[in-house]
Amino acid sequence: MTAPLLQVRDLKTWFPIKRGIFARTTGYVRAVDGVTFAVQAGETVGLVGESGCGKTTLGRTLMGLEPRRAGEIHFGGTPLWPRRHSASLPFRRRIQMIFQDPFSSLNPRLTVLDIITEGLLEHGLIRPRERTEAGVRLLQEVGMDPDVLHRYPHEFSGGQRQRLSIARAMALRPDLVICDEPVSALDVSVRAQVLNLLIDLGAAHRLSYLFISHDLGVIRHICSRVIVMYLGVVVESGPTSGIIDHPVHPYTRALVSAVPVPFGSGRQRVILSGEVPSAANPPSGCRFHTRCPYAMPDCSRIAPPLERFQPSTGAAREVACLRKHELA
Amino acid sequence: MNSNPPLLDIQNLSVAFDTDEGPLTAVENVSFSIARGEVLGLVGESGCGKSVTALSLLRLIPMPPGRIQSGKVVFDNRDLLRLPASELQPIRGGQISMIFQEPASALSPLHRVGAQLMETLRLHQAIDRPAAWATSVEWLRKVGIPDPEQRMQAYPYELSGGMLQRVMIAMALMTRPELIIADEPTTALDVTIQAQVLQLLRDMRTQSTALLLITHDLGVVWEMCDRVLVMYASQIVEEGPRSELFHRPCHPYTRALLGSVISLTGSAERLVTIDGQVPSPLSYPRGCRFAPRCPYAFDRCRAGQPPLESIAPQRRSACFMASAFAQGGDMP
Repeated sequence: MTAPLLQVRDLKTWFPIKRGIFARTTGYVRAVDGVTFAVQAGETVGLVGESGCGKTTLGRTLMGLEPRRAGEIHFGGTPLWPRRHSASLPFRRRIQMIFQDPFSSLNPRLTVLDIITEGLLEHGLIRPRERTEAGVRLLQEVGMDPDVLHRYPHEFSGGQRQRLSIARAMALRPDLVICDEPVSALDVSVRAQVLNLLIDLGAAHRLSYLFISHDLGVIRHICSRVIVMYLGVVVESGPTSGIIDHPVHPYTRALVSAVPVPFGSGRQRVILSGEVPSAANPPSGCRFHTRCPYAMPDCSRIAPPLERFQPSTGAAREVACLRKHELA
Repeated sequence: MNSNPPLLDIQNLSVAFDTDEGPLTAVENVSFSIARGEVLGLVGESGCGKSVTALSLLRLIPMPPGRIQSGKVVFDNRDLLRLPASELQPIRGGQISMIFQEPASALSPLHRVGAQLMETLRLHQAIDRPAAWATSVEWLRKVGIPDPEQRMQAYPYELSGGMLQRVMIAMALMTRPELIIADEPTTALDVTIQAQVLQLLRDMRTQSTALLLITHDLGVVWEMCDRVLVMYASQIVEEGPRSELFHRPCHPYTRALLGSVISLTGSAERLVTIDGQVPSPLSYPRGCRFAPRCPYAFDRCRAGQPPLESIAPQRRSACFMASAFAQGGDMP
């Protein structure tokens, strides 16, 4: 196998908790606490988990928007992020991001043309007089009417704004696009349009996506591989259909069974007790043991490593659970 | 249909808001009823008028700019829209409770959770403080809040979204209402917490409380509801018992909505999309409001609005093609 496009090793992003008048650091919120994974060129990888599991922080750390505490990020074989701004510029072109909220992620004072071609000018990929032409081409690519070039974001609906965000991200012909809940704020009928657009653009330009979502249905639809996070760590990862059809880790099981689906019939539902503990003070051992229906005494002492595992039914994957052999 | 009078009967409800660009019709000619103990789902996308419908039932929309233009909301042989405020107040939170989408903004941030629970009880029942305290603690325990005595002393900001929604549910249930209106009660919650809250709402049905569940999530509707209403562009476009409506939708909008649901089991085929977007309430099309996006639309649809008509027992649809849909074409 060729070197992956993105290789992340033992990445940690901690946020200091400051107290008192001297803002002394009294602890850390361990939002991302030792995450390792890779994304191949042209691959769409899903990152799924509930609020507070660290998936958004992980995406932002990869983009260089949050400082990491430890770990390595390699992009196309080169370490990210270089300290010097000039050295980081090529990466800023090659990695783009699409944010969740289409209302706050577009500058309300800029026109559509400014928004979607700003990056092209900044990176010197077009000359100022080629701007309109580039803008028209981008709008057509995301299925919007070129007449809207001189309008402002407030004139568009959520779905159309998300198309503009996509046009902005695609303008620079990136290799990797990090999508942070790109369709969560959209209604179902519009959501399908935007997902289809992302799939088409990904195929046309051989893009890699890191697709962050809490919605397993969306992940299942768009991603070939999925990474399940819980409280800052990866608990299970592998082929999407294999994991959703035959989850091994107790958390993945609960997550899959909790999704209400139309036409579903009396599936065995795992209802977890309690809530996600605080990432400032995560439980010892396996972080899921406080809510796990299968927890045993060892689970509170030993942090299970993420290991390769072949269950009797379902695809090979990586699982972090002490009892995976009994549960599979 | 049973011959018992419905618990709540809504007839021709229309609500408008005055805006700078003119009056905006949020709810138009909406009629439906809820039976005792029934779980009725009200489904639609953002802006379709489902929340305004729910709020109007208890006259909770801000007036002005809102205006209830016409209609009747008959509850207990009384029209809630014409009741004096003094008589409506005991019904709000007493016989009819509401659960809102954002529990954090529905509770007062300045008062302890316990004080808010006790206030609700004492407004509706002749009960002294110690008894109200005890009842509140008991209800917090019933909705699955650990250490209820301590939680009574907590301020809303100290509790998570799932906990607050439980507090809201306890508050809604403890006056033993006949109807609960829940407006997207689990939308702000994570799926595992949503599963807990839905389970709780299911358990609470044993006391024959009716539930009007407003949601955009068809999976939640499937799991919870007996009967379903579908709204589009301020109007009800389809109504029917859950299974029949899901298996044989008789309005193209319902069909499209069901088609765009992303399955957890299906293969990665292309998603069905609904072309275009929801029309603005300030400029609804003249004919059927779904016609510009409808794959089945023909000239008649663009000329006039199809009325919401009965097509089978307990089923209504506002589509000229409804009977054709009713006869053929099952959903997968």
